[in-house]
Amino acid sequence: MTDEGRGDRTARNAEALAKGLAALGLGCSVEARGKLVLLLPDQETVIKLADDSTRRAALALAKEHGFTHAAIELPNDRRRADPDADATVLRD
Amino acid sequence: MDATAATGVDRKELDTKESALSAWLLERGRVAIGFSGGVDSAYLAVVARRVLGESGVLAIIGRSASYPAEQWAAARRVATEFDVPVLELDTEELSDPDYAANPSNRCYFCKSELWTKLVPAARARGFEAVADGTNADDLADHRPGARAALEHRVASPLAELGFTKADIRRASRELGLPTWQQPSSPCLSSRIPYGTGVTKERLEQVERAEAALRALGIAGDLRVRYHDELARVELAHSELASWLEPSRIAVVRDAVAAAGFERVAIDLRGFRSGSLNVLHGVVPA
Repeated sequence: MTDEGRGDRTARNAEALAKGLAALGLGCSVEARGKLVLLLPDQETVIKLADDSTRRAALALAKEHGFTHAAIELPNDRRRADPDADATVLRD
Repeated sequence: MDATAATGVDRKELDTKESALSAWLLERGRVAIGFSGGVDSAYLAVVARRVLGESGVLAIIGRSASYPAEQWAAARRVATEFDVPVLELDTEELSDPDYAANPSNRCYFCKSELWTKLVPAARARGFEAVADGTNADDLADHRPGARAALEHRVASPLAELGFTKADIRRASRELGLPTWQQPSSPCLSSRIPYGTGVTKERLEQVERAEAALRALGIAGDLRVRYHDELARVELAHSELASWLEPSRIAVVRDAVAAAGFERVAIDLRGFRSGSLNVLHGVVPA
């Protein structure tokens, strides 16, 4: 598969993951970096992800969408102030 | 691996392995050991000191930017407490472009540099036999550095005699070694993904971030993985939930950001050995 093809698939996976997480009640934007996915959560989701079972569910969903690693980005004021930070992002 | 997993070891089997290790050491008479101060090499050095006496062992530390200062301090503490003679050498693996390019066999170039310096230094001091702390569990892992040991005729008695990590932790605990429950501590370059260059600045950045997190009281396994402007923090499972609490998240973020990372993330799965090998498909997920 070409790099472009892989990128398209990763982007689709990231979008699908964001939807799946929303269905679990986890509001966050998603940034894919190869097999690593970063979750950029809202405040309520940060609290939910401190719970083991919620974290396990999020991880299982990430794996289902082809990601070997999922991490929660620790929010800071700069990113919260950046309106573009809420989009699903693809980076390789 | 759980740092305290020294249980479930058959004492009788361990007796047999310990006797075999003593015999192995006695057969060689004088043994130099590549000594990092980690669980395995600390155990081997202390057993060698007991079996062979002070003149029969030399623990050699290879120092470089990829060797954490905290680890060096731990190595010196063990050597002092157990009266193990130590020699320190500087290694220059970062000056080797093959190493600095950070290929998936990076460890081979590091160990080549280590043994190229260490073996002649040992021989010059009358130590024909040189050993490292590789254990039986390591043989199943992705360890390109093992080839360098083979090329320099460095022995791995713990692996050879079937000592598992759990065996070594249990035997270390019984010897009173402080390392028995120490988390594994691979070199700092293991925090940088393959293909991303290893530089002194990046290693120092990772080391500062990990030291800052330790200063907060984070215990157990801990890795700050380098992803350019992003630090991905892997915590021991027992620590994960408490550091994800909103009141503590800012503390973690600030500590890591102060080390020079623009963005900070906590891995949701927590610590896993060889995490970057999985991320880059070197080993299966």
